[in-house]
Formats: sequence, structure tokens, C-alpha cells
Amino acid sequence: MLKATKKRFDIKITQANSTVSDTFELDKNIVKVHGVLVTSDKDDLLYYRGTQKIEINKEEFFPENYESKLLMSGINVAPKQRYYDLGGVAPGNGRVQITYKDLDDGRTVFAAYRVSLYLDCEMEDEL
Amino acid sequence: MMKEGVIITKISIKRQGERKHFQIKLPKDTKFIIGIEYGGRLISKSDAIKFAAAPKAAPTEELPKTEVIESVTVAVTIEERSKTFFKRNQLIGELKLQSSEESNWFYSTDVFGADANLKYGDFSNAGFNVNDYTHGNKRTEEIVKVDAESTIIQGWYLDALGKSQKVDINYEVTIYVWINVEE
Repeated sequence: MLKATKKRFDIKITQANSTVSDTFELDKNIVKVHGVLVTSDKDDLLYYRGTQKIEINKEEFFPENYESKLLMSGINVAPKQRYYDLGGVAPGNGRVQITYKDLDDGRTVFAAYRVSLYLDCEMEDEL
Repeated sequence: MMKEGVIITKISIKRQGERKHFQIKLPKDTKFIIGIEYGGRLISKSDAIKFAAAPKAAPTEELPKTEVIESVTVAVTIEERSKTFFKRNQLIGELKLQSSEESNWFYSTDVFGADANLKYGDFSNAGFNVNDYTHGNKRTEEIVKVDAESTIIQGWYLDALGKSQKVDINYEVTIYVWINVEE
């Protein structure tokens, strides 16, 4: 039986104008990735300063310089509609890579922050 | 099989009223342009407040303060408030795109900054500040459908932000062209 699950992966941005890349592995029983969402503990910094590249199974879904604000949803959006729809991607080797770039923006002052990548997945029930 | 992809182009604006002509090169296997999005980043810090805050639609003339009976004064006050509730969104510039195969622009938009009226209609007063990054809607591309066989898009951008503030503001506009690629 298939069931929906959400996965969260975090990266830390500790320096202004830096690039942080990390690779995460999805569970083996995940069969589809339906959506993607990014959030942060300091969401104004993510909104104004962030860009990222996201790859799933070595396939690029969002290229370098794709702004984080385009993948964010505020609390005004219904919870079930917050994820960016990828249309059911097969995870292949299950490796998800995020390359996040922080860039100065005149409206913000840098402080260390966390970027969270959420994936809306469908997995095979183990039972 | 068709696959979606996005081409990102950045335009740097440095002077007030600056007009930029640019080209966006698409991959050779592009079949259609299916969507357009835009974003931006402020580079010069000195004008940060001007960029972020939208001007208020405040009344230009002072209201008479004396010799008005009380009921009339109340009515005038309400009218003034209704004017100031809504704020004008800050216009950043104008963006137009043209395909090499067809005449006329296929995409034209006014580029706006943050939604200045996002707070309007929030009656919670819970001390949770309303901002684009907390209460903003999910962004999606504007859907277009244009043949892309010549693989070049001509673009035109005109600054309005620096012009309206009468100061040179250094910022970047990012244009996202969503395409259909044949695999």
C-alpha cells in the first residue's frame, strides 16, 4: 500500500555570501517525490538572499540561481497546497542534492540561519 | 517525451530610468516556451528602505482644523482613513519579451516589489507581523505558449524604481523562462 510522507533535510548557513552543498538520501521504499518546499528559521533571509539548485537522482529540477522565494509558501496558503508540484518524480537512486547560495541583499543583515528542504513523497508501506 | 526546464537570466540595473535590451538564449532542443516568472535582488544598501517600502497614498492637502461642526469632521476623517488603508505597490520596472518568430511582444508585465497590502484584511492583531515571506502566496509562473524554434528571445526592461525615487539604485532582475524540451 502506498502512503504519503514528508521528508525534511536541513543545512546551516553560517557565512554571508557562501555556498553550501549537501546530499541527502531518501528511504529506499519511497517511490515518488510529488513536491518540494523550502523554509528557514529566519525566513526573511531565505526570502531575500537565497538561491538554490536542487537535483534528484542527478537530474536537475531547479538550476543554479533559482530564487528560494519561488519555492516558499506563506501561512496564507492552505497546508495541502504549499508544496511546489513536481508531478511525481521517480527518486531513482534516492539522492537529493541541494546547492544553496547566500547573496547579499540590501534589505537584510546577515545572521547564521537554517535552510530546510521539505519533500512531499509517496512511499510503500513496509507492513 | 517532453521535459520541462527553466532558463535563468539576470539583468543588472544601475542607473535611474535605465533601459536594457537583452537576449535570452534557449537550448536547441526547446520546443515551446511555457511560462515566465520574475524575481529580483537589491544590491545597493543605501536605498534599502526606499526599495522595501511602498509609498502611502496619503492625502495631499491638510484638512481644515477649525470652524467645522463635529459631525462633518468625523465624516472627513473616515474618508481620509479609507484613502490611507490601501498602499500603492512599488513599481520596479517594465519587462517585455518577444519571440524571434512572431511579431509583437508575447509577454509584457509591470514588475512590482513586495505586496504592500498583504496586511489588509488581517484582523488577528496577534503581533505576528505580516510580510511576504510569512504570509505570501505560493508563486507560480505565468503560463504562455510560444514556439521556440529560433531559440532566441528578445527582451526589453525599463527601470521605474530609480526614476520614481530620482536616485540611482543598483538592483538585479531575474527572469525565469520555463521551456518544454524534447528528450
